[in-house]
Amino acid sequence: MKMAVQGIRTGAFVVVAFAAAIGLTRADDFKLEAIRVGEPQRIEVFPPAVKLAGVREQMQLVVTGYYADGSLQDLTRAAEFASSNAEIFTLAGSVVRPKADGSADLKVSVGGKEASIAVQVANQGTPQTVSFEYGTLAALSKQGCNAGACHGSPSGKGGFRLSLRAFDPELDKLTLIHEDFGRRTNALDPAESLLLLKPLMKVPHGGGLKVRASDPAYKVIHDWIAEGCKLDPPEQARVVKLEVYPPSGRLLKRPAHTQQLSILAHYTDGSVRDVTELAVYTSSDEAVASVTEAGLVVGKDRGEAAIIVRYKEFIESSFVTFVRDIEGFAWTNPPTNNYIDEAVDAKLQQLKFLPSNVCTDDEFIRRVYLDVIGILPTVDEVQKFSTDAASDKRSQLINQLLERPEFAKFWTLKWGDLLRLTSKQVGGDGVYKYHRWVERAIAANLPYDKFARELLTARGSSHLNPPANFYRTAADTNDCVETISQVFLGARLQCAKCHNHPFERWTQDNYYGMAAFFNRVQRKKTPKPDETFIWVSSKGEVTQPRTGKQMKPWLPGDGDVEQAEVDDRREIFADWLTRPDNPFFAKIEANRIWSHLLGRGIVDPPDDFRDSNPPSNAALLESLSADFVKSGFDRKHVIRTILNSRTYQSSFEPNDFNKDDTKYFSHYQPRLLSAEQLLDAICHVTSVPEKFGSLPLTTKATQLPAPDLVKHEFLKIFGQPERQTVCQCERSSESNLGMAIQFFNGPLIYNKLRDGNNRFRQLLNQKKADQEIISELHLAAVNRPPTEKELAATMKHISSKDVQIAAHNTETDVKIAAMNKAVADMRKTFEVKLFDAKLQTIPDAIRVDAKAALATEAGKRNEVQKYLVAKLGPSLTVTVEEVTNALDEAAKKMVADSTTQIAELQKLKQAPGSRRIEALEDVCWALLNTNEFLFQH
Amino acid sequence: MNVRFIMHRTTSLLSLALAFSFALTSLAEEPVSFRKDLAPILLDQCLACHGPKKAEGGLRVDSFERVTKEGDSGSPGFVGNDLDLSEAFRRMASDDADERMPAEADAIPAEQLALFKRWIEEGAKFDGEDPTADLITIVPAPTHPEPPAAYRYAMPVAAVTFSPDGNEVIAGGYHELTVWNPVDGKLIRRIKNVGQRTRALSLSPDGKLLAVGCGAPGRLGETRVFDMANGEVVNVLGTTSDEVLDVAFSLQGDRLAVGAADGTIRVFEMPSGKEQLSITSHSDWVMALAWNADGTKLASGSRDKTAKIFDAKTGELLVTYSGHGNAVKGVAFHPENKDVFSAGTDNKIHRWQIADAKKTADVGFGGEVFKLPLSGEFLFASSADKTVRQFEAKTQKQLRAFAGHQDWALSVAYHAGTKRVASGGFDGSIHIWNAEDGKEVASFFAAPGYETVAK
Repeated sequence: MKMAVQGIRTGAFVVVAFAAAIGLTRADDFKLEAIRVGEPQRIEVFPPAVKLAGVREQMQLVVTGYYADGSLQDLTRAAEFASSNAEIFTLAGSVVRPKADGSADLKVSVGGKEASIAVQVANQGTPQTVSFEYGTLAALSKQGCNAGACHGSPSGKGGFRLSLRAFDPELDKLTLIHEDFGRRTNALDPAESLLLLKPLMKVPHGGGLKVRASDPAYKVIHDWIAEGCKLDPPEQARVVKLEVYPPSGRLLKRPAHTQQLSILAHYTDGSVRDVTELAVYTSSDEAVASVTEAGLVVGKDRGEAAIIVRYKEFIESSFVTFVRDIEGFAWTNPPTNNYIDEAVDAKLQQLKFLPSNVCTDDEFIRRVYLDVIGILPTVDEVQKFSTDAASDKRSQLINQLLERPEFAKFWTLKWGDLLRLTSKQVGGDGVYKYHRWVERAIAANLPYDKFARELLTARGSSHLNPPANFYRTAADTNDCVETISQVFLGARLQCAKCHNHPFERWTQDNYYGMAAFFNRVQRKKTPKPDETFIWVSSKGEVTQPRTGKQMKPWLPGDGDVEQAEVDDRREIFADWLTRPDNPFFAKIEANRIWSHLLGRGIVDPPDDFRDSNPPSNAALLESLSADFVKSGFDRKHVIRTILNSRTYQSSFEPNDFNKDDTKYFSHYQPRLLSAEQLLDAICHVTSVPEKFGSLPLTTKATQLPAPDLVKHEFLKIFGQPERQTVCQCERSSESNLGMAIQFFNGPLIYNKLRDGNNRFRQLLNQKKADQEIISELHLAAVNRPPTEKELAATMKHISSKDVQIAAHNTETDVKIAAMNKAVADMRKTFEVKLFDAKLQTIPDAIRVDAKAALATEAGKRNEVQKYLVAKLGPSLTVTVEEVTNALDEAAKKMVADSTTQIAELQKLKQAPGSRRIEALEDVCWALLNTNEFLFQH
Repeated sequence: MNVRFIMHRTTSLLSLALAFSFALTSLAEEPVSFRKDLAPILLDQCLACHGPKKAEGGLRVDSFERVTKEGDSGSPGFVGNDLDLSEAFRRMASDDADERMPAEADAIPAEQLALFKRWIEEGAKFDGEDPTADLITIVPAPTHPEPPAAYRYAMPVAAVTFSPDGNEVIAGGYHELTVWNPVDGKLIRRIKNVGQRTRALSLSPDGKLLAVGCGAPGRLGETRVFDMANGEVVNVLGTTSDEVLDVAFSLQGDRLAVGAADGTIRVFEMPSGKEQLSITSHSDWVMALAWNADGTKLASGSRDKTAKIFDAKTGELLVTYSGHGNAVKGVAFHPENKDVFSAGTDNKIHRWQIADAKKTADVGFGGEVFKLPLSGEFLFASSADKTVRQFEAKTQKQLRAFAGHQDWALSVAYHAGTKRVASGGFDGSIHIWNAEDGKEVASFFAAPGYETVAK
C-alpha cells in the first residue's frame, strides 16, 4: 500500500519569517538568468514621466517588453538608459538621480526598440531634510532594527527599545533622541553615533552586522543625525497611499524570472516619491520567489507568490506567477464536472501540473462518508454501492448523505470547535442546548447569513435563546473583536490589540473601532444555574489605549460609522457582514468548507486571510464564494458542488506531472483521520461501540457536544481540541509517538480486539469461513475486498499459527519444569537439615554406619546394614509433611509464588482450536495499523 | 601632536590614540608594545566580532591571554617568532578576500600590519601587568581630540557643577568641559582632553580636584581627575568599555566612587587613585551614586530597576530597594542617614528606610527624574517634565519649582554660598536660578559658538 504519509499536515501558527542575518538579500545572492531580450513588439517605461522635486529624490524605472505571442517580460536589467542632459539628471543603473533644476529627456533602448520619457528636476538649490517618520523610521524598518525579534520586542533588546515596525513614532522619538542623555546619536560627528556604529559592527552588537555604509538606509539615518535629529514639522505632507508597480498579475515564463519593482508613495499634497530603496519586501512563498532589498523579485520555482511591500504603516502586494516549460508535459483536457474543475484546471494548465485520474468507487465511498457524515460506510453500504451500475451513483450517494442526520451532527462538531462549545464555558446544561441549536441550524440548512446574524445579535437568556451563549464564550469586548474577526473575517487580529499588526494592514485603531460595536454587550448571571442573560446597554464608548482617542465604530472597507446611535450597534455590524458584497463573509466560509473537504484551504490556514497569505487559486475562491452568495448562503449547496467536482474525486495517487504540487489541488491530499473519526472508525471495524459517560451508547465520538463532557484519553492523544481558542489550528493534526503507541499496543484497541462480542467473534460464531471473515474485515476497515495477495498472506498467517502454538506450548513446559526443579532443590536443603537433626538422636557409635547403610542401595546392603536400616530407618525417615512444616517464610513464599506462576503458564498453553481467534485478532490489528485505514485518502 | 589630532578629528578616538603612539614608536624604533601599539588596533578592528558578545571562530581578543589562545582553527591568534602559526596575523595579512580579516571590511593598513609582524618577530611579548585584564583597561589613556571650535549643535548638558567659590559654572561639553560665568552667561574657559560625552561631575570637598565621568557610548568610559587650578588631567581612573555614568567624592574627600555602564561600582582612594573596591552587585548600568555623611555607606541606582546600599568599607550589600520597578537614575541620603531618596523612570522620588527597604513617602513628577543632589538641608531634582525642584530634605516638602527649560532638565547643582541653582537641559541650555526667590538669573547655551552658528 503506497500511501503518502507525508500528507500529514501541520496546522500551527504561521510564522512569517522576515529575512534574518544581515536580513536583506541582494541580487548577488541568486543565480540570475540572463535576459533573453528577443524581439519585443514594443517597450514601456514606468513611470511615464519623472518629476524630482528635491535633492533627496530619485526614481526607480521599470522597463517592460511586450511580445507578439502576448507574453511580456521585465527588461529593466537589459535596457540602456541615457540622459539628454547630464547636467539636469544622471543615471545610476535604472535609477534617475537629480542634479540641477530643469527638464531633459530620458532615452531607453532595448531589443531594437526605443522609448523616451520627460524628466523634470526642481528645488535643487534648497536643502531637503530627512523626514523622521518617512526617512529614519522607514530606514530602521528596512534594516529590521524594529522587528519583533529585535529591538521591536515589547522590552527591546540590550536596553534599546523601538516600537514594532515603527507603529508608535512618539516612543521611537523618545528612544532615539532623548533617552539616556541622547547617547545613541551624535549630531556633531554623525558617523560616530551608536545608532550607526552598532549595526555596522564597529561596536559590538548582539544582533550582528545589520547595515553597510553603502546601504541607502545608512545614508538616511546618518543624514538625519547630521541635521540634528529633527522631528517632522506638523504641517509636513503625509503619505496617503502606496503604489506598487507592476500591480498584481504579472506572469513570467522562464528564462524570464525576475521583475524589478518600483514603489511610489503618494502624499497628501499630491506629490509622489519613489521609496523603492526604503520599502520592505517579503514573499508569501520563499520557495517560489524572493525579493532583494532593492526590490528585484527573483523567481525560483514555478508557482505564485504575493510580494508584500511595506512602507511605514502601508502594506500593498503584487502577485507574480512564474511558469516554465516541463519536459514531456502535455495538457490532456481532462473532463470537468463543474466550474470548480474549470478554475482548478486553468491554474494547473498555467503552472503545468496534470491532474490525477478520478479515484475508484471504493476510494470515493470511503472519502465521501468520512467527509460528509464523519463515519465509515457499513459493509452492506459498500457492497451496494460497488454493485450499483447507475452512472450517476456518486451524485446520488452525495445527496443521500447530505440528508442523513449524521451530517448535521458531524458538521456541528466543526462549528463546535469554532464556537468553543465546552461545558466549562457555557455550563453543563448550556452546552447541550447550544449544541442542539447548532445541529438544528445545520440540519435545517439555515442560510449562513441568518446563522451568523442569530449568533452576533443574540440577546436574552442563554437557556431560552442558545445563540446568546456566543457572548458567554466571547466573554469581553476584546474577545468579541478577536473571535468575530477570526471566525467571520478570517483575520487574526490579536496583535492589533497592542500595536499595529506587524505584517498586515490591520491597525490598532481598527481593533478598537471594531470593539465599538460590541462594548455595550452586557452579561449577567441569573439565579438559575448556568444561565446568563445577555443584554445591550444604550451607552458606553471605546477608548484607544495608546492615543486616548474615543473610537467610532469602524467597518473594514467602509470606515467609521457616523450614524451609530441605534439600539444595538451589533445590528449595523451584522448588516454589513452579511451584505452580499461583503469581501470577507462568504469567502471565509466557502474556503472553510473547502478546507474541510479537501484537507487544505484555498487560503490556508483557512482562518488566516491576509495579503501575505494569498489564495493558491484566487479565481476558484472567487467563483466558489460567488456561487455561495448566489445560492442564498446555502452551505449544503456549496458542499454538494465541491463533492461533485472531479477535483474532489481525484485520486490521491500523484502522476509524474503533479507529484510536486501540494497546493493547487491536482490530486487528493491524504490526511490522518481526525481523533473523533478515528475512534468511530475503530468502533465500526471491531463492532464494539465506545460509551461516553452517561451519554447514550449510540452517541459517536464525532457527535459529542463538547470535549470536556467526557474526557477521553485516546481522543486527546489524536488531537481533539479543548476548544479554548477559536483558532482552527487548535485541532492538532501533527502525528506523535503517543499515537503510534496507541495503535501498537494501546488499551483501547487491545480491549476491542479481545471483546467477546466483536465483529470477527460474531462471524466465527456464525460459522463463517476464514475467507469470508477476512473479506468482511477489509470491507469494514478499508471499504474494499482484500486483494488476492492480501488474502493469501492472511490465510498463510492463520495456518502458521499452528506451528507457533506448538512451539509456544513447548517453551511454556520448559519454564514450568525449571520452576518445579527450583522448588524441589529448595525442599531438599530442608530435608537434609531435618535428617541431620534426627541422626543426632542415635548413639555416636553407630551414627556413621547407620548413615552409610541408608545411603546404600537396598539391594546392595550387607546384613549389618539391613539390620541397621530395619531398626533405625523409620525413625530417620523425613516425610514430605515434615519438610513442608519446616519451611521458613521465604521458602514458603517461593513455593506459593511458583505455584501461582506455574498455574498461569499452564493457562497460557493454547489448545490447537484457539488459533483462529488469535489469528483474526492479528489480522484485525494489522488492518487498523495500515495507512489505508488511518488516512483519509 | 596636536596638529595630527586636528587632522584626524573625525576618525575614532581609538585610532587617534593609535596614530599618536604609532608616531612615537616608529620614530624611536623601540620594541613594539602590545599595550600601546596593538591593543588599540584589536579593540578598534576586531573586538566587535571577537569579543564577549560574539566570539566568531571561537576567538576572542578582549585580553592578551585570549588573543594568544587557540581559536576553532586550532592555531593560536599570535605566537612569538612564528608568523605562519599566528592565525590572526595570517588572516589579517591574507591576499584572499574571503579569508582576510576583518571580514567584509577594508584590510588593516600596511603600517599597522608591519607592527604586528615586528612584534611577533620580537617574541610576541606582553608588556602589561595582568595578561587576563580586559584590553580596554591596559591601553594607555588616550589624549582626547580637540573640541569643536564652534558647535553646530548644542549637546545635552548631562552634568553641571559650581566652582568652589560659586563664580563659575562648569558643564560637560563635547570632548571638553566648558566654564561659564553664572551671572552673565559668558564663557570663561574651556577644559580640554575630556572624553566625548560627560555624564557626571564631582568636586572634591576641598575644591582642588574635579572628577569627570566621561566616555564614548559603547566604546569607552573613564573617570578623569582634573586639577582645578590649571585644568590639567592628574589621573585617569577605571577605564572601561562603556560610559561612566556617575562619580561621587565622599564628603571626607578621601574616596571617589565611580558607577559605569558595565554595571560595576568602583571606589578609589584619593588622591592616590588606588582602586579599593570593585562592586559588581548590579546587573545593568550603574546610573547614580551617593555617600552618606560619615562615608560609611554608599547608595547606588541602576538601570536594573533597583537602588542598593553598600557598606563603603567592605563593599558588602546591605539592602536592595526594588520599589521603582523601573530604572533608577538618582540617589541621595536623607540628612538623618536612616532613609534614602531614589528617583528614576517611574517619574517619582521614593523615600525609603535603610533598615528594611520600606517606602515611607514619594513625590510625583510629570516625567522621569534624573539627578538628585543633596546639599545641606536641601534636596534638588531635575526632571523630564522640564522642571527643576527644590525640597526640604528632611520632610521632602517641595520648596520651589524652577520652570523655564524648553526641553528636559537633565542635571542640577546648587551653590550654598551664592544660593544659586544651575540646571542643564537636553537642548544644551544652562539656566541659573536664584534659590531665594526662584527667579531666573541667566540662561545660555553651553556650546561655544553655537548661537553664532545657529544664526
